[in-house]
This record gives sequence, C-alpha cells and structure tokens, in this order.
Amino acid sequence: MDDNTIVSTRIRLARNIDGLPFPHKLNEATARQITDGVEHALSSVDRFTRFDMNKISNLDGTILQEKHLISPDLLTECPFGSVLIGMDETVSIMVNEEDHIREQVILPGLSLERAYNRINMIDDAISNTMKFAFSPRYGYLTACATNLGTGMRASVMMFLPALTMKGLIDACINDVGRLNMTVRGIYGEGSNAEGYLYQVSNQRTLGITEGDILDSVGSAINHIVDAENRARELLKRDEPELKDKIFRAYGLATNAYKLTTTEAMHALAMIRLGAYYGYISVNDQKIFTALTTKCLPANMQKLSGKNIGALERDILRAQYIAAGIKKSTVKND
Amino acid sequence: MICVKCGQRQATTEIIQRYKNHVEKLYLCSECARDYRPEVFDDFEMLDKLINGSPMGLLSGFSDFFNTNKAIRLVCPDCKTSSDEFLKSGYVGCPKCYEIFEPLIRQTVKKLQQADRHVGKRPYGVSGGSGDVALLRAEIQEALDSGNYSRVNELSKVLEKLEGNGGL
Repeated sequence: MDDNTIVSTRIRLARNIDGLPFPHKLNEATARQITDGVEHALSSVDRFTRFDMNKISNLDGTILQEKHLISPDLLTECPFGSVLIGMDETVSIMVNEEDHIREQVILPGLSLERAYNRINMIDDAISNTMKFAFSPRYGYLTACATNLGTGMRASVMMFLPALTMKGLIDACINDVGRLNMTVRGIYGEGSNAEGYLYQVSNQRTLGITEGDILDSVGSAINHIVDAENRARELLKRDEPELKDKIFRAYGLATNAYKLTTTEAMHALAMIRLGAYYGYISVNDQKIFTALTTKCLPANMQKLSGKNIGALERDILRAQYIAAGIKKSTVKND
Repeated sequence: MICVKCGQRQATTEIIQRYKNHVEKLYLCSECARDYRPEVFDDFEMLDKLINGSPMGLLSGFSDFFNTNKAIRLVCPDCKTSSDEFLKSGYVGCPKCYEIFEPLIRQTVKKLQQADRHVGKRPYGVSGGSGDVALLRAEIQEALDSGNYSRVNELSKVLEKLEGNGGL
C-alpha cells in the first residue's frame, strides 16, 4: 500500500474491570490498584515504563500526547490516570482514562492485522489476570455505549493534501461516513487536520466482529487512497503552480530563520507531496512523520534541553527541520 | 436488601415513584424491576406510548417517559448513578448500570450502533455461550411467529456470527 498516503495504523481496545465503578466514579485508592494490576499483568509481556499523570511534568505529559501515546484527556481530565508504555513506543496502555484500560498499538503504514494481533496478545495477557466487565449481550462493557461490544477502534492516519486542496475532502468524508467510518483531524476529536493529516476510524463497535472492523476500515482506506490519487492527478494538471508551491515550501523548510509549528507542518506536507510526484527525492519516507512530531512545541522544548520561549523555539525548529530535510532529501530541478 | 415484590431475590434497583402528594421508594430485584409498571399516570397519552409504542411495548417508551414525565427515576445500587444522570451525560457509572438501565440502554445502543448484540471476542475464560445461542433461536422463532421478518433476518446474521465463534 502507498506509504506516501498512509502514515500509520492504530488499534485501540477499551476494557473495564468487573465490579468496579468506571473511572469518573472511581476513588484514588481503587484507581491505583487497577494501575498496579495492569502493570503486573503486563510484566509477563514486555518491559513497560509507567507514568502517573499526577506526577508527570506538564512538558513530559505533552510530549507523550504529541507522540500519540496518550490522549489529551488523560493528561488534563484524569487525576488518577496513568500510562504504561512499551520499550519501542508502539504499545501504550492508558489506565483510568474514560475506561479503566485503553490498550493501544501504533505501527507505521497500513498494518491493520499486525496491529490487531499485537494488541490482542496484550489483551489476552491482561485478561489472564484481571476479570473484565463483560456481558454476553453487549460484549465488553464501557463507560460510554459508543464503545460497547468489541471496544475496538481501528484508525489509520492518512496524508490527504490533494483532496483537501481541491476542496473534495468533505465529499470524501461523507462517502466514508456512509461506510460507518469517522474522519478526524490529526489529533483526534475536535481538532483541525494540520499538515493535511487525517485519522479514519470505525464508528460501530457492536454487532460486528473484530475481523469485520479490520475489513471495513481496510476497504474505506482503499477507497480514500483511490480518491486521493485521482485528486493528485487533478492537481498535476496545473504543474507549474504545483511545482512552485512545493519548491517554495522546500525553500522555506531549508532556509527560514524561524518557523512556527503550523508553517513547519505545512512545509513538510508540501515536501512530502513533492516526493510523491518525484520533484524531490527522499531516502526514507519516515522522515516526514518523525519531523512532524519533533516540530511540535513540547518535543521542541525537550530537544532544546532548557526552558525556552516561543521565539527561541521557532528559531530552533527552523534549524532542526532544515538539517533534517537537507540530510534526507534532494530537490530535483 | 430483599426485593419488596418477590420477597426472594436480592434488590438491585431503587425505583422512586412520584405521586401527586408524595414520593415512594421501591427496592426491586432486576427481574421484578423489568416487569414493573408505574401505578399512577397523569399523562394517559404517555402511558399509551409506553405500552403500545413499539415492539418492546412498555420498555421501549422509557427514554421519552424519563425525559418528559420524570415520574420514575432508577438509581444504580452499586455506583448511585441515576437514570437522569445517564440520560444527560450518556455515561453509565459501572458495569451494574447496564442491568439497571437495560431498557434505556437497549434503545440508545440500537440507535448508536445499529445492533444490540455482541458477536466478537470474549474475555479469557468466558465460553462461546450456548445459552446465548438458545436464547437467540427462541427470539428468531418469536419474530417469525409475529411475522417480523426484518428482525428474523437481523437475528439470523447474529446467530451465524455467534456460531462461527466471532472474533477474527
């Protein structure tokens, strides 16, 4: 599958412990017991690092959020929330967010089945030691009925610049909506699609099997990739204009003295599109995802190793992106 | 506490019924709570809706009833979440709430998910559930007898998945 259009795959399973109130009704002592229980269960699988939200610094918490390892809500709305993160940062288990346990795996590219198999193995390991709230009729019981049944959300992050620029993204969102899919901006619900990045995920979780969900998300993704490819052909009809936009973005990314997050994300998106058309050669597509995450404010702050203001961050971002782009790409005249 | 109606099973549901001049609390087991019908109605139109409004009769009208009459208020005995709270927020407080608010939840779930029965993975140690299959067969027969063929079709698909063991 086209790795220029598909960025990553994420599968999440929502689980709760039988007989205990859901997190919004939970006291601190019970919340800690659940976290300890999950940590113990995971010790048989891999090495996980635990972060409790009431102890983590705001900077470190925001970095985890920018890397999609935790939700914004875990950081700001869940005083007893914790996260357990696997060594390679592909697996993260949020505890006491909206549900007691949110198991998540993120893999690069389109890897629906592989991601499911990985999270399913972790789910089994937790299920071996903790009794999940389950009803034969409604499946895995969750705090909100929108997650009942499988408790599974399969999302694919997609790079859709042509559909967006040609004004076709809304029609595409409506089309996949009919397939029971939701399309959101890069940072999930309520956020804008910065850098032309969108997250496509299943709406229904009940009355269908996990396999059905993977199949339906896979089909929706194929549909969107086709639509994006057609839109990219349309975009190329005005090649001088397109090339100019891409090369200006390249110029900005490699020469600017300072760059805001939005400017950086937009420039990276245009260079990525340039790579698709062959205007720019790239030795590794992963550079775009890596730079997009690294250019976010908290990650940039961490990279500086000291407490810096917005202006210093923008200057550092420009240097960092210029170095990354010069190292990994060549502009083809 | 023992159910005040059957006097046998453990009470799991608190029902608050408001009459014109007083309020009465009843503690019922989940089975009796399911069969419970309020005794006094000021709004006969709503009563009619409750009893005749849909295939599930009394239960299917609950949500409208809760929203408009406020005559009955269910409270989960485990986490104290009330039906008002659930209807307002969309969140239940604990696994037990799914039993207590079953009539309300069934409606909401069906609307949200276009289905009301799980066919996917089961947790470790929970069997495939031959009881579920038997229950489903009985429901299919009931739907057949009443000529509700769209329901027969829907349930048959669920049965197919359950017998196929669900999951991947």
